[in-house]
Amino acid sequence: MQETILHIDLTTGTARRERRPELFDRFLGGTTLGTELLWQYAPPEVDPLGEQSALIFVTGPFSSVFPVATKTVALFKSPLNGELGETHAGGRLAMALRDAAIDALVITGKSPSPTFLSIENHEVTFSSARTVWGQSALASERILREYAAPDGRKGSVVRIGPAGERLAPLACATVDGGRHFGRLGLGAVMGSKNLKAFLVSGTGGPPIIHRGEHRQVYDAIYDRVVASNDMKKYHDLGTAGNILPLNAIGGLPTRNFSQGFFEGAQALSGEAFAEHYLVQHMACAHCPCGCIHMAALREPFAPFHYRTTKIPYDYELIYALGTLLSLSSPPEVLSLVDVVEKEGWDAMGMGTALAWASEAFVSGVVGLRETEGLPLRFGDGGGYLQAMHRIRKGEGEFFRDLERGVAFCAAKYGGEAFAIHFGGVGAPGYLTGENALLTYLMGVRHSHLDDPGYGTDQKLLGKSLSLEEQVGAAVKDAQWRMVTNSLVTCLFARGIYDEEMVLAGLGALGLSWDGEKLKRMGEEALRRKYAYKIACGADPRRGKIPEKIFSGTTATGPVDRGRMELRRELYARMVGLPEEV
Amino acid sequence: MYACSRTFAGMATTNRAALRVRAYTGVEGAFSLRTCLRCPEPDCAAACPSGALKKVEGGGVRLDKERCLSCGACVQACVIRALQWNADDRRPIPCVHCGTCARYCPNGVLALEEEA
Repeated sequence: MQETILHIDLTTGTARRERRPELFDRFLGGTTLGTELLWQYAPPEVDPLGEQSALIFVTGPFSSVFPVATKTVALFKSPLNGELGETHAGGRLAMALRDAAIDALVITGKSPSPTFLSIENHEVTFSSARTVWGQSALASERILREYAAPDGRKGSVVRIGPAGERLAPLACATVDGGRHFGRLGLGAVMGSKNLKAFLVSGTGGPPIIHRGEHRQVYDAIYDRVVASNDMKKYHDLGTAGNILPLNAIGGLPTRNFSQGFFEGAQALSGEAFAEHYLVQHMACAHCPCGCIHMAALREPFAPFHYRTTKIPYDYELIYALGTLLSLSSPPEVLSLVDVVEKEGWDAMGMGTALAWASEAFVSGVVGLRETEGLPLRFGDGGGYLQAMHRIRKGEGEFFRDLERGVAFCAAKYGGEAFAIHFGGVGAPGYLTGENALLTYLMGVRHSHLDDPGYGTDQKLLGKSLSLEEQVGAAVKDAQWRMVTNSLVTCLFARGIYDEEMVLAGLGALGLSWDGEKLKRMGEEALRRKYAYKIACGADPRRGKIPEKIFSGTTATGPVDRGRMELRRELYARMVGLPEEV
Repeated sequence: MYACSRTFAGMATTNRAALRVRAYTGVEGAFSLRTCLRCPEPDCAAACPSGALKKVEGGGVRLDKERCLSCGACVQACVIRALQWNADDRRPIPCVHCGTCARYCPNGVLALEEEA
């Protein structure tokens, strides 16, 4: 039974525990409960980087209890686009929160000086982070883990890199090894609170009351994760396995969304990475799949001297820092990923900003005057590395601006037609067609994970569906994802956690839900998020599609303006958005 | 570790497991499995001042909870840090070699083997 919210006020350096069983009864946890807490603690009118803003982290009833329920949901007001900030991360955080009997964590206020928090069970220690301020996201973890637990005992470390300290809207927070609260600028919110990191550990764990029933459901899920094909692809090649299939249908965004075919895709494929660079798989705590892929990059730094770095890779990274920039050399892509990891940036945000900058440079929207002599060219990996170092060091106004994201840069310098963002968020990596674009436009997080749009596009290559069927599938699934994101299961297991499995799991935990009640909760949760967005002045019905998208093509053909508007209207109606005023 | 805690303590955690997967810090880290080796002459049992922890027939050790003084000498004596500690009741968690962890090891890294 979940009920405990731990409130931490950084201004006063105090923490208090609150029991709210009725909230968990009604909203389960994760995204649905988090949205209610967002309304309460970071309402639409707050300054995202002000003392009044809040960071909210929530687990769900399945966290630690069933396999692949590994995610923690974070909610905040986004400093990137000024509206709903939501991002999910795995690692060990959900496990650690449950071990500590913390079901939701609400961090408010602002510390007077750099601080990190050690949360053990319900005890919170506030420590000076002056010595770790300025350290990379990777070094910060090593330092703090050793400081907090010299025996290396488990627990979770959530921290920002220097980007978050600079309040860069593209800053993420990194969770344990290679997991991130990646998008929408959570790292900047931590930085604005002078919060370098928080560590969570606990000595307990949720009791399993109905052991026989639990085991039956547990084993059914476990066996499907491990022994069926539902999740095999995520373990074997990982999401990088998508590079070749997407390229084959013309859906792999290349050179700032100029086309969906990348001539260098073979070299960047999951198969090529596995054969030449993959050295290790890793898993989030309590995930028997293990989708995290680590590459080793061996680079000379002096004659006969080499440094070997392990760097995580997946489809999104290869898209954002590879195909989008026309880079086809894995070492070049991995070098960029390494800087992004250390600095603590959102990789997709940085990739889309650099892609816009490259097109702005080649089209004359910006020139050597703005870039202070550094040409930005598609395919020039060394140039991008230099650009990242300039951003990191704050060298030049143009480079300082790039970490504010593509929307900000286009508004300031021009080139809005080819600024590939939706709702202020650099686009995800699927140029499959109108369904994917509709997801980016209307999805509550402007994420490809909001609904199955890019999957629907790919289905259309084999069969025909009416517009109503296509949009209906998106909305229905977006609503269902509100349920699974409240439990909180990983979206990679979405095929396993269908309604039947979810109800069996809830039943085994003694929680009485039925299909209709879950459905209503999902519908309402989605509307609550849209209401928050609209109250922030971000009505998704008025979001723009970048002009460039209309002049190119996608895996399912050119994008039609009229049809996109129709899709948007249908989506809004099916979700039940309030009438426009 | 989840499987072990779940099965023997009825808790959804890794905190009650009789084995440990030691993970070294950072994405660059490695893993090291620490499971009871069924030592022919167990250091943990030898270190127990009250005779609560004893070697058993067939390998491994068993704990007589009534006699345990919660001194922690056994855990300290296990150099490979395989013997785990229950922080709540302040007693060691000796492995019973049941194989539950192997049942839930997705990659077959853990296996229960009969000794020749």
